[in-house]
Amino acid sequence: MGQLGEVAGILRKLYDEYRTTTPKKLKLIDAYLVYVMLTGIIQFAYCLLVGTFPFNSFLSGFISTVGCFVLAASLRIQLNKANQSTFNVTPERAFADFVFAHIILHLVVMNFIG
Amino acid sequence: MTSTSLMMIILVILPFYSWCATPTVAANLSPANIDGLKAQFQTAMKSFSDVASIHYTLAGIKELGVVPPDTYCNDIKKLVDKSDVESIFHATEAARALANCKLPAEEYRALLTSTLQSDKSTTAEVYYAVRASVNLGLNVDESRVEKRLNALAKTDDSVASQGYALLTGAQLSQPIAKFYADTINDLVQQADEVDGRTLQYEGGVGTTALLVNAFYEVAEKAGVPVKIDPKQLIKFASYFSTKRHVATLRSAYYLTKVFKYLSDRKNTIPVVVSRTTPAAVSAQNPSVFVSVSNLFGQPVGEIFVVAESAKRKEDGAVVISKQKLTAKDSTSSIFELPFYDAKIPRGFYTIHLTLTPRGDEKLIGLTDNTIEVKVTSEAALENAELNVADRDSTAQAKTHKLTYPNALSEKLDLHSHQKLIIKFQVKDKRTGEYVRTQQAFIRFTNKKSKKEIIYLAEAVSGATAQYKAEMDLTSNAADFRYQSGAYDLVVIVGDSLLQNAFEWKVNDNVQLTFHEDSLADKNHQDLYLPRPEIIHQFRVEEKRPPTIVSLVFSGLTLLPLLILLVSWLRLGFNLSGMPLGLSPLVFHASHGAAFALMFVYWKYLDMFQTIRYLALISIPLFLAGHRVLAILAARREKKV
Repeated sequence: MGQLGEVAGILRKLYDEYRTTTPKKLKLIDAYLVYVMLTGIIQFAYCLLVGTFPFNSFLSGFISTVGCFVLAASLRIQLNKANQSTFNVTPERAFADFVFAHIILHLVVMNFIG
Repeated sequence: MTSTSLMMIILVILPFYSWCATPTVAANLSPANIDGLKAQFQTAMKSFSDVASIHYTLAGIKELGVVPPDTYCNDIKKLVDKSDVESIFHATEAARALANCKLPAEEYRALLTSTLQSDKSTTAEVYYAVRASVNLGLNVDESRVEKRLNALAKTDDSVASQGYALLTGAQLSQPIAKFYADTINDLVQQADEVDGRTLQYEGGVGTTALLVNAFYEVAEKAGVPVKIDPKQLIKFASYFSTKRHVATLRSAYYLTKVFKYLSDRKNTIPVVVSRTTPAAVSAQNPSVFVSVSNLFGQPVGEIFVVAESAKRKEDGAVVISKQKLTAKDSTSSIFELPFYDAKIPRGFYTIHLTLTPRGDEKLIGLTDNTIEVKVTSEAALENAELNVADRDSTAQAKTHKLTYPNALSEKLDLHSHQKLIIKFQVKDKRTGEYVRTQQAFIRFTNKKSKKEIIYLAEAVSGATAQYKAEMDLTSNAADFRYQSGAYDLVVIVGDSLLQNAFEWKVNDNVQLTFHEDSLADKNHQDLYLPRPEIIHQFRVEEKRPPTIVSLVFSGLTLLPLLILLVSWLRLGFNLSGMPLGLSPLVFHASHGAAFALMFVYWKYLDMFQTIRYLALISIPLFLAGHRVLAILAARREKKV
């Protein structure tokens, strides 16, 4: 019981710090990440419910969410000023890469969706 | 072992082995099918369609001793084609076979002369013209013919052509005939050997018979004996004696002539040795009778026959050595060899015979003659018993002693927990030993459906050779298709070396009761009727969830979008910083177009078209995007 209270306390602290220290831009991307994750979960739940036929469609949808998540996550990493030292890219360049990768991802997903 | 020494071993052993493996059963000739040939000619005599058939039939049947009536003369005159030298040849030959048939020689003279003078006639045509001229009594310019034949010998070296040259030579003067008679050996060397046993020429029976006939004809005219090596002559004779039925009249005619030459006392005669009694030797038929004749079936003069050895096929044991056969008649054509003896055990035997002529007859094929016989014996079934036992316990339930040929009188009732065992022994009455046979079965016959179920009786090894057959009502029930009911039980024993076979009805009321329900008999006749039609079944579609479920979930998937918009608004998402102008417009438009293209791709296009459109859209997209991002970057720089 005491441990649970400890965990709750840590989480609250994490949440407060997140709210105060994270820039708005990154928070927007985080919201987007949550959205993508929820979509993926719902798709997976559907597949568990009704079975995998047609498997390619399920895979394509799921991979789409995973791909979007990964790309958005990498954009977030690149835009985070705390990581400026590791990455030597401008935010605009990161965004351009993001758009380019998305086009290819959607091409593949559309091909596979059947 | 080096490869050279291995090679040496192979080169030495292979020929040795093949020499040993060559069957010593050499040329066992059989008598010619004279009756068959005669029947063939007689059938052909009923109606003729061409002059060649008339020639072969009339001449052939005359060789066999039947003189055809002169009425055929009209047929010859009707069917002859005066413009064809071969047709004239056949006509003259056919007329020659009749007693009194004269053909108008003057009508043919011109064609015959022109054929002989022409430089384009083949060897066959030359022969036809020469022979026809001789038959008609016309003069032949021999030197011209000889020159023509020499010219042809250089251009046409086929065997048939050489044969016709020989035949032509036989029509000319003796020195010319002698010249051709000397070429016989060359021609014989050109024959093909088959299996080391027969010699033949390309072209089948007709051609080979024509050629061998040519040898004899030309040698006869030349007044010299035919110089053919006896071994090769035997091989020719072997080839001819295997031809029991020939397809064409031409082959039949020449074959008849060859058989006549090969049976003529003036020439070397191949001897035919064959068995006239059935192959089985037993107490009732104790002797083997052998006939010695020529190819025509006629006796060959006084001759002595000795059985050199009789070898058993199974183990090569030799039972007879140098035993003389006794002649049964004065013409020395049937000989007897008593074979059945207590000392000769059952088995298949090969008897080697050697013949010795009394005089200095020109006989060949005197050695290497074999005949095959089998010595059989009578057998008896002994110590037969039928046991009914329980399948699980080893103790015998019931034993019935059986005596052949009596059947078991009582009814047998068997249930699914029992099994039936039959035991018996087969004894050779002559030697008293128990033997193993090739066939030993027990047979159940369903009295209603007459279906037979047969089981093998197997013998234990050893001297007792006791046969045992078993039928278990549980493990063998499937053989009976689980049909319970009344069955007949029969024991079957047989062997090729047993004089008598056994089909012994042991019991005619065996009640079998199986545990399972009976199955219908398989209808075996249906195998050959049309089978049920196979209708192609397309792949069954997999089950999909109801449309409502999928629609609900599609809606659910869009729900997070709402959550996203709400959270973005809460976080302060606004479009205030969005630059306005041409480039941003183009950027957003082409970006939107790219996603619209994705949708269109999904619905309508294929990959290649999509790639092309995408390439098209991506040009403004990247240009405008670059511009917009540059603007944003500049803005950021300014702020800092």
